[in-house]
Amino acid sequence: MRNFFLAAALTVTMAIGINTPLLAHGPLFSPAPETIFKDGTQLTFGFDTEKASGAGVKQRDYKTTIEANYGLTADWEIGIEAPYSWKQQNGAKANGFGDISLDTKYQFWGRNLPSAQYKASALLKVKLPTGKDSTTPRLGSGSTDVTAGLVTGYESRRWYWFASGVYKANGEGAGNLTKGDQQSLNLVGGVRPVLTNYKEPDTVLMLELNWENSRRDDLAGVSLANTGGWELFVSPVIWWTYRQIAVRGGVQIAIANDLNGNQPTTDYRGRTELVYHF
Amino acid sequence: MIKILRIAAFATVLVLPVTASAAKKQYQLLVDGLACPFCAYGIEKKLTQTKGLENIDIDINAGTVTVTMAKGVSMSKAQASRIVKDSGFTLRAFTKLAK
Repeated sequence: MRNFFLAAALTVTMAIGINTPLLAHGPLFSPAPETIFKDGTQLTFGFDTEKASGAGVKQRDYKTTIEANYGLTADWEIGIEAPYSWKQQNGAKANGFGDISLDTKYQFWGRNLPSAQYKASALLKVKLPTGKDSTTPRLGSGSTDVTAGLVTGYESRRWYWFASGVYKANGEGAGNLTKGDQQSLNLVGGVRPVLTNYKEPDTVLMLELNWENSRRDDLAGVSLANTGGWELFVSPVIWWTYRQIAVRGGVQIAIANDLNGNQPTTDYRGRTELVYHF
Repeated sequence: MIKILRIAAFATVLVLPVTASAAKKQYQLLVDGLACPFCAYGIEKKLTQTKGLENIDIDINAGTVTVTMAKGVSMSKAQASRIVKDSGFTLRAFTKLAK
């Protein structure tokens, strides 16, 4: 039972990052302000891996996702994401479809300059309890969770920066378990080492700093001691693009944490994406 | 013979303006916000949906998009501005190039 709660807390911590796809370059482990062009469609195929250990728990997760986004206008996009997960925890294994998410992003401010742009967007994401929560480890949270965030950023021919804040409010899941609400703050810098032109392969390097905090879980009104706390990650990311195709990958390395009680900590997370828009 | 040459010269003068008006028109769009090749694809896609467009040349470093229209087809500044806006950028200048 204790492991169940630890795994649930870890799953929630893992799920807090919103990595909405984007038309232009942006962070991989945190939101980006860009929206796709009007009537444009973007498909993102992602592969995630995570390893966590400690407190008697060894966990290894793999996840593939497919996400489709559509530009209602140049400033407003909608999207849907469906994951398929393989999970291992202390020898127990489970795999199957996870929780489907619906999301939207609206760019409420922007300023285009010669060869540069500033943008600020608001985003909203609803995660539905479509994944199985009866397996061990659980494939879905069993709850409906709502995430809201604000993100701003600057992109030029040479330099990038982004900043975002995200709040995730978790609903009650199976067994009267309500996972603690989560917050994340992210700072990102990036550089294009070589200025290539249109129809040439393009490479961009980024470095993210991701702080993720979680409140304690609640089980039928009782706060659980071995849940909640924060972790800090440093995350190098590389982008490679050619026309409307992008491949990007990165790894999140935990550099500090302050988790409540006795919990497993994240060893690392990795993510690779293939993005295509048309 | 002189009469024939005079008629030919007169005919040439008459035909020249018609030929000129049917020539391909070329425009240069100076676009703000054009920062990377990946995001520039949106503007290419929007422009290729324009009727009569023959060729697009995007120069990211200069922030320019040069379009060539088919014979007899024009592009207005308002049309270019709307296309650029729908792609997420801002049209700073619109110039008809001599060709």
